Amino acid sequence: MSKVLRISKGAEQGVQELLKFLLESGKVKGVLTLTKINNNGAVDYSLITNSEMLKDALPLFPLMPANAGKLLSRFTLKSALAEPIAVVVKPCELRAFIELVKREQGSLENFLFISSTCDGVYPLEISSNGEVAKKLSKYWDAVKKGDIAPDIRPTCSCCKYFLPYNADITIALIGENIDKECKIFLTTEKGKKSVEGMKGQLVEGELKTQEVKNLLNKREENKKKLFDNPALMQDGLSGLIETFGRCIGCHGCSRVCPICYCTLCTFDSKDYENEPSTYETELKKRGGMRVPPNTILYHIGRLTHIGISCVGCGMCTDVCPVDIPLSTIFLKVGGEVQQTFNYIPGKSVEEKVPLTIFEKEELTEVED
Amino acid sequence: MKGAILKIENSIEKTIIEFLKKGLDKKLFDVVLIPVKVPAGDSYAWVLVQDKALLEDANPLPPVMLVQGAKALSSITRRGKSNKKIAAIMRPCEIRASIELSKLQQIDLENICLISIDCPGALPLKDYLEDTKKGIDTFKKVIKEWGNESVRPICQMCDKSVGLSIQSDLHIGIFGAKNNEIYLIPSSQKGKSILEEIGIPAEESMDNWEKKTKEFVETRKKNRKKIQSTLSEKVMGLDNLLETFSNCINCHNCQSVCPICYCRQCYFESEKMKLSSDDYLIRAESKGILRFLPDTLLFHLGRMTHMSLSCVGCGACEDACPMSIKVAQIFSIVGDRSQKVFNYIPGKSIEESLPLKVYEEDEFHDVEKP
Amino acid sequence: MKDDFEPTIIGFLCRWCSYAGADLAGTSRLQYPPSMLPIRVMCSSRVDPVFIITAFLRGADAVLVAGCHPGDCHYIEGNYYTRRRFACLRKIFETLGMESDRIRLSWISASEGPRFAQVVTDYTDKIKKLGPNPAKKEIFL
Ligand code: SF4
Ligand code: SF4
Ligand code: SF4
Ligand code: SF4
Ligand code: SF4
Ligand code: SF4
Ligand code: FES
Repeated sequence: MSKVLRISKGAEQGVQELLKFLLESGKVKGVLTLTKINNNGAVDYSLITNSEMLKDALPLFPLMPANAGKLLSRFTLKSALAEPIAVVVKPCELRAFIELVKREQGSLENFLFISSTCDGVYPLEISSNGEVAKKLSKYWDAVKKGDIAPDIRPTCSCCKYFLPYNADITIALIGENIDKECKIFLTTEKGKKSVEGMKGQLVEGELKTQEVKNLLNKREENKKKLFDNPALMQDGLSGLIETFGRCIGCHGCSRVCPICYCTLCTFDSKDYENEPSTYETELKKRGGMRVPPNTILYHIGRLTHIGISCVGCGMCTDVCPVDIPLSTIFLKVGGEVQQTFNYIPGKSVEEKVPLTIFEKEELTEVED
Repeated sequence: MKGAILKIENSIEKTIIEFLKKGLDKKLFDVVLIPVKVPAGDSYAWVLVQDKALLEDANPLPPVMLVQGAKALSSITRRGKSNKKIAAIMRPCEIRASIELSKLQQIDLENICLISIDCPGALPLKDYLEDTKKGIDTFKKVIKEWGNESVRPICQMCDKSVGLSIQSDLHIGIFGAKNNEIYLIPSSQKGKSILEEIGIPAEESMDNWEKKTKEFVETRKKNRKKIQSTLSEKVMGLDNLLETFSNCINCHNCQSVCPICYCRQCYFESEKMKLSSDDYLIRAESKGILRFLPDTLLFHLGRMTHMSLSCVGCGACEDACPMSIKVAQIFSIVGDRSQKVFNYIPGKSIEESLPLKVYEEDEFHDVEKP
Repeated sequence: MKDDFEPTIIGFLCRWCSYAGADLAGTSRLQYPPSMLPIRVMCSSRVDPVFIITAFLRGADAVLVAGCHPGDCHYIEGNYYTRRRFACLRKIFETLGMESDRIRLSWISASEGPRFAQVVTDYTDKIKKLGPNPAKKEIFL
């Protein structure tokens, strides 16, 4: 059980009011939230410091134009926040940010994290062709019922971590009567303090409702289906080549991945360019060679670099010009690695990234 | 204008491949750089082919452009010239990008024989991937009917797709060819001697082909103007540009697939673009709101200043954009205009210097303030 | 057919232990197959998993990473990290359905010449049974 501030208004409006209160009371200096960019349906994150601008805020909008974890890292990479900022982000974005902080790519200081129980986001393609608006009512229906929302990103439909970790404030959405009331769960002391003075009813509540538990089960089932689908990828090198054969090497998948934080990816660096003589050696062996080289290397390599921390946000799939189901593959393979180390990326900032620590007595099974 | 005539056996593609095989047999080149169908059968990848057997699955004119050919060639010769002789068979915009990259010292053309081919255009990557079998059928039609509208918008307005508007070593004419023949037209000594060695010296008149391609280019030029001016109205000017790029998610796919943007690390992804948290906040406070990440438009305008003089209008950027932004069309408008200022056509001639690398003492006084 | 197959094994050997162990095996004139191409590294932890994948995709029939026994690393704890990274890579190989037997981690000290010879002999036998790495002939990597 935790403290809940209940407002008798729809969830969207409730959050709007929360943000307005935070800004106007001076409890935060700014708010980072999804906003309307124009009248043609473009939505992106904005940093708002003037409460009047909140009119364009769409804090709960089911879209992820960028993984906000990456944005928060950009925000605090050079210096921590000097003044408090509230951010409204999805659970996997918050998890991604925690992973980045562990990698010293940002700082948690002075952030007030607002998140929600999350029913997933739509593929970006749907936003670029202006179809999100048509889908919204169905989306909110699913949220109310606690169903998997139709047509959302594949990895959203099997994400287990839709109850946010590390949020100071969690808006309850799944299975809630979100047209009529907004339940603002104050999950940390900081969260409680931040709403002091805001109008509403302070009650006790439970975030992990039966509906939430049910959705978890539905997603577990969905995950099995998605992961075990033979069309996802066949075993072995030949399977990899079938799946990644059409990759055009744009590396968009790593640029939008919140965990891939390198300013210059190894695989774009000089180290992975071949000398002309390398081609000659390879041609001798194979009689032919794909160029540019290293398509498969890039993907397995990226798996070894970030699989341990993949939060399954789905950005990589969305950005891929040749529709490779990247996030499903990365979540599946990454998930196995995570299980090996009993690690849930982004769960706790104290827990170190497994590859940066060790125990003296462990993993003897991998030695020969 | 003289060229050689090849009788089409089976198909245009197969005829070209047979020709390439002969070149390999006679050691006129050691390897061929050509798109080959990937094992899944749904796409094509550039393959350096030494073993002739691999040419069975090759396609000199695939329905889509996956990796821009100049990028493939650059990955081979960026670090130095190839010791093997490579015959690279590419679409005209890929050849032109290769010429630009050689001026930018990202391709070493020594030992490379550039073979261009009349290009009917390429299908939009998205359309093709929706149903690749259907895509292949559509493309068959495209090769038959020049000017078919299922190709990418950027291809529909391309005025350098056919004929001899580009500088390759050997050009393959398939436009307006009578049903049963294609033409091989050498434009350099390299090309000429290849034909001679194969035993098909360039002796036939190509006047008819040349005339037809010129006519086609004229209609394309008109088309280009028309499409560009309609688009200009919608996208040019600060407000329109902001609107156009409002959906941009800063993935920089457009930059990373662009053959001309060769930087390993783009300036717009470098440390220089990263501000301190205070600076972001100050920028937000000046208007009360700051789109985050900021500087989307700076990226696009900046990219234009870096590369639009060499933009060959290949469309790779547009194909790679996950948000379906008309990047290539916009860049081609800007490219055309900036290129005109210097009377420069990218990829036209290897001898012509990049306009920003040379100057005259007495020029452009019109841009100076009195 | 498989009998004529002589595998190529790339060995990333740490300078302080395993490379010295290999030296010892050589100077003691121990018998072991000539299948290993050693690459000397300062510590087993210098081996980015991507090196292993690179060697594998370039056509090495197997890749061995060898370092000091746990507790003996010249840099105190390097090999503990190696082990974690290796476990991660192994898991990725397994999940992708790739032959994880083609990558191996072993601890061989400077004084263990015979163990070095044994490891190379055993591993070579094992890889011989597995056959050549399919990546060798692959065009679309
Ligand atoms: S986004 Fe897609 S095409 Fe681009 S590198 Fe990643 S997998 Fe390849
Ligand atoms: S690999 Fe893909 S799904 Fe995983 S965190 Fe990165 S972008 Fe998200
Ligand atoms: S793939 Fe590896 S090197 Fe490249 S950006 Fe991701 S973590 Fe960095
Ligand atoms: S935009 Fe400019 S800096 Fe960036 S890759 Fe292109 S040319 Fe280089
Ligand atoms: S900007 Fe676009 S159209 Fe122009 S050369 Fe680059 S990829 Fe091709
Ligand atoms: S590819 Fe499209 S979305 Fe990505 S940066 Fe370029 S214009 Fe923006
Ligand atoms: S020095 Fe041998 S493993 Fe570290």
